[in-house]
Amino acid sequence: MTAVRAVLFVPEMLVVLALPPLLMSVIAKTKAWFGGRVGPPWLQPYFDLHKLIQKNAVYSKTTTWIFRAGPIISLAALLTAATLIPVLSNDSLLGFSGDIILLAYLLALGRMFTVLAAMDTGSSFEGMGASREVTFGAMSEPALFLAFVVMAVATKSLQLSEMIGPKLLPEWQIAGPAMILVVGALLVVLLTEACRVPVDDPATHLELTMIHEVMVLDHSGPEFAFITYGAALKFTLLGSILVHAAIPHPEGFNVLSPPLRVLELGGLAVLVGAIESAMARFRLNRVPMLIAGATVLSAIAVVLVLMRRTV
Amino acid sequence: MTLVLTSLALLAIGAATSLLLTRVPRLALNLGMLFAFVAAVIAVIAAGDVLIRSPSQSTYEAAWPLSLGTARLSLDGLSAWFLMTIGVLAACVSIYSVPYMSSAVGREPVPVFCALFCGLLAALILLVCAADAVLFLLSWEVMTLTAFFLIDFHHERPEVRRGAWMYLVATHLGTALFVLPLFGILFARAGTTAFSSFAGALGSADRTTLMALFALGLVGFGTKAGFMPMHVWLPAAHPVAPTPVSALLSGVVVKTGIYGLLRLLSWLPPLPLVCGEVLLFVGVVSGVMGVLYALAQHDLKHLLAYHTVENIGIIALGIAVGLLGEATNEPTLAVLGYAGALLHVTNHALFKGLLFLSAGAVLHGSGTGEIERLGGLARKTPANALMFLIGAVAICGLPPLNGFLSEWVIYGSLFSGSIRGIGASGGLPAVGVAALALMGGLALACFAKVFGVVFLGTPRETGLQTHSIPTGMKTAMAALGLFCVLIGVLPSLWVPLVRSATIELANVPMGEFSTRIDGVLAPAIRLSGMAVLFVLAIGGLLVLRRWALSRAARRDVGVAPTVATWGCGYTQPTPRMQYTASSFASSLVTTFRGVLWPERMFAAPAGSFPATAHVETRAPDFAEHELFEPVFRGVARLFAMVRTVSWRGESESPGVAQSAAAHRRGPVRTLTIGMVSALRRGSIQVRLLFIVLTLVVLFLCEALSSVDRVHTTTGQDYQHTLSVGVNR
Repeated sequence: MTAVRAVLFVPEMLVVLALPPLLMSVIAKTKAWFGGRVGPPWLQPYFDLHKLIQKNAVYSKTTTWIFRAGPIISLAALLTAATLIPVLSNDSLLGFSGDIILLAYLLALGRMFTVLAAMDTGSSFEGMGASREVTFGAMSEPALFLAFVVMAVATKSLQLSEMIGPKLLPEWQIAGPAMILVVGALLVVLLTEACRVPVDDPATHLELTMIHEVMVLDHSGPEFAFITYGAALKFTLLGSILVHAAIPHPEGFNVLSPPLRVLELGGLAVLVGAIESAMARFRLNRVPMLIAGATVLSAIAVVLVLMRRTV
Repeated sequence: MTLVLTSLALLAIGAATSLLLTRVPRLALNLGMLFAFVAAVIAVIAAGDVLIRSPSQSTYEAAWPLSLGTARLSLDGLSAWFLMTIGVLAACVSIYSVPYMSSAVGREPVPVFCALFCGLLAALILLVCAADAVLFLLSWEVMTLTAFFLIDFHHERPEVRRGAWMYLVATHLGTALFVLPLFGILFARAGTTAFSSFAGALGSADRTTLMALFALGLVGFGTKAGFMPMHVWLPAAHPVAPTPVSALLSGVVVKTGIYGLLRLLSWLPPLPLVCGEVLLFVGVVSGVMGVLYALAQHDLKHLLAYHTVENIGIIALGIAVGLLGEATNEPTLAVLGYAGALLHVTNHALFKGLLFLSAGAVLHGSGTGEIERLGGLARKTPANALMFLIGAVAICGLPPLNGFLSEWVIYGSLFSGSIRGIGASGGLPAVGVAALALMGGLALACFAKVFGVVFLGTPRETGLQTHSIPTGMKTAMAALGLFCVLIGVLPSLWVPLVRSATIELANVPMGEFSTRIDGVLAPAIRLSGMAVLFVLAIGGLLVLRRWALSRAARRDVGVAPTVATWGCGYTQPTPRMQYTASSFASSLVTTFRGVLWPERMFAAPAGSFPATAHVETRAPDFAEHELFEPVFRGVARLFAMVRTVSWRGESESPGVAQSAAAHRRGPVRTLTIGMVSALRRGSIQVRLLFIVLTLVVLFLCEALSSVDRVHTTTGQDYQHTLSVGVNR
């Protein structure tokens, strides 16, 4: 860690924070391409955020301070988590040993307050969404943590930047199948946590079938801007974990690495857009099966990686 | 040690004072709780003194008035850690009790409550400081009995009697069948009842003895701690006790089971690997099942009681990793596991105490703990809502509160176990990680449900009263909430305190520990940094929001900022349309129906003009109904067969009554039951037959055991047996 790297973190962080809406745009463009449409302009998500931040907020009469605190605490938790995740380079800003647990629980903290803000409105639709969110969230935690176990055992580290860093490169050569399973599980976790098809359809128009969108029905103005941006940031952060685990870059700082990471994240967004275009959302009672499947994938990967070491 | 004795003396004075002042109950309440508070604070100071300074044991010995031995009290790191936990929680609970119980003055024997409260506290302090088996068991029993009377305080309600009775039976079975034999074996090996002699006496013990001791401790102390499936008394007793007692029960009385187990482990040499693996399994089952049952509950205190089972499971996971670390000679693992378990003991006492007190405030204000009837309390009692929220965030293990710190250490220990390939070559710790992650997610779901339904939204029942919460109760909760926040934000001040207790458990020298714990502490300091960052992020977003909103407000003046909740087009929402707690939990309960077996009674609306519909769900405890009930019913039937006296009102003893099924019995059962019931009816011939049979068996035993002894002693034995038989 040299002084140069420390200085470079500032522009890196700025790019990381500016990137999420663009990825949303990539997904939208992909879906438009599959549908034979032109799609919204590339910068539309930024325009949306700008529009929302200028608007006034409308509050329901039933709500308390929890409703106002929800979006802020959720986004603050995500911003804190962003300092722990390597996005463009192989290092994270503030990583330390054991930061993966903090990272996962910061995401959970965000989920808790999003859910409470939804419950604060007293609407049964939002309660429904909240119930689904905690159900799928709870079920995806074991899949995520078992994937962490695989990478921790492979790299003998509990620091995220090391677990999905260059140390994983030899692991792909020795225990490729385990890593493929982990990447599969992480993809399902990403789709679940970021509320994408086939778990949740962000473009659906019926409140009864929504998860994330129905929870934030009553939010408006700047707070809705926080929520929209937070959803994009969550996708970017979890996406970079997936991308780093799937394509580890070699040791050392490389000028080519950050642009390549941006391209990889864009590729992931295209993949998610393609999934959304190619398949429909699962029936809600089938989603637990999908997440349980991801947990099984992770568990098999754990067995594989532990067996390899004992043999 | 002087401080501990002072504290005990104060509690004795407190108990005596409140009993003497029965005629002036309000004064008795104030004085009794004042004594309890001061005694608890003194206990905390005594414990803190030991924990902050290097571990220096100070022992106090008193000549026992009876000829049982010497009463030894000692305060080592482990005792001090639990003493501190007890003291902190008891101090807060005693502040809380004054306003809580004052509403019962005149209607209920409040002075007796105070005396029992002081007695329970004294027994707890004595228990963790006892350094002698007799004193330990004595205070164990005093604790059990005072807690029983405290649970049974509202004994006019049948469910209270049932809960208290279950508690008494469960803990006494655990004590009689497992804890007493445990100490019996220890006494037999050491020849003395002093704790200090046990470790040396067990140094040469073989594998079987060690495992037997561990199994006895696991079941005996586990009954008190509430490991599944011995947890059945917890959800029965916790909810029915008065709130201050529930908080103490869940916070510290249950933890004495953990203390007993840890005390036993501190004597045992490194145990075989299988012990740690069994405990890990027990922890996983208790944790996951505890939180699943909690999710399906409809009563606030019931739900919290099941969360105690979950958190005991988390503590067990930590201890299990400690055992695995000891068994494989991995000090880092042992230190991490035990430290995590100990930290969680205290953290759970703090946040569960807070949650119970907050739930008690809901009960106190609204008169009901039924989740489905409550709603919108955050508007009426905002302070209590904040307190419950702090407790909820802490119990879900979310940063930046204290629950995260201990779960983080336990996660670290499990991950390290997996990395080092310990416990079925690393597979079991991985299972622990997955289970802990699942528990975290489910706890979040559960507390989102409770907080969302009880405190948010609008009141579901218009008739429910809500009066404000007295300052004393708020103060006690605020103190506990402050501890939860401080421990979570400043872990580097807190974690070193666990040092001496961990050293005693993990059997590592001080220098070794310092190097090991540095690896743990260095990241713990980073947690404070992350907390600061988190608060800064919140601050920044708040400023941004304020700026944006004020700019917008300047632009469109006169726009109504508040409207009704968006009802997807429906404009007349009523409180009854809110999502209920059962609906909220139903998707998870349905997903896990394979392990939870929920019952659902559903009367669907029928006809063109449906009048009523009815749905009722509950999750009966598997262990209670499928495991213990058949056993106890069988035992009751057996006793009913040999019982010769039956009291009035009982139509027929169940053993004989169910003669409808008699013809389906096999020959052996028919003969046995026939003979036993003949004996019960008092037929003289059958009794003589039994005497003869006994004699034959005795002769056979004697003849088989030693031929020599038959010639010398059988005659006397025969005479003796015969005289006993004739005397009957």
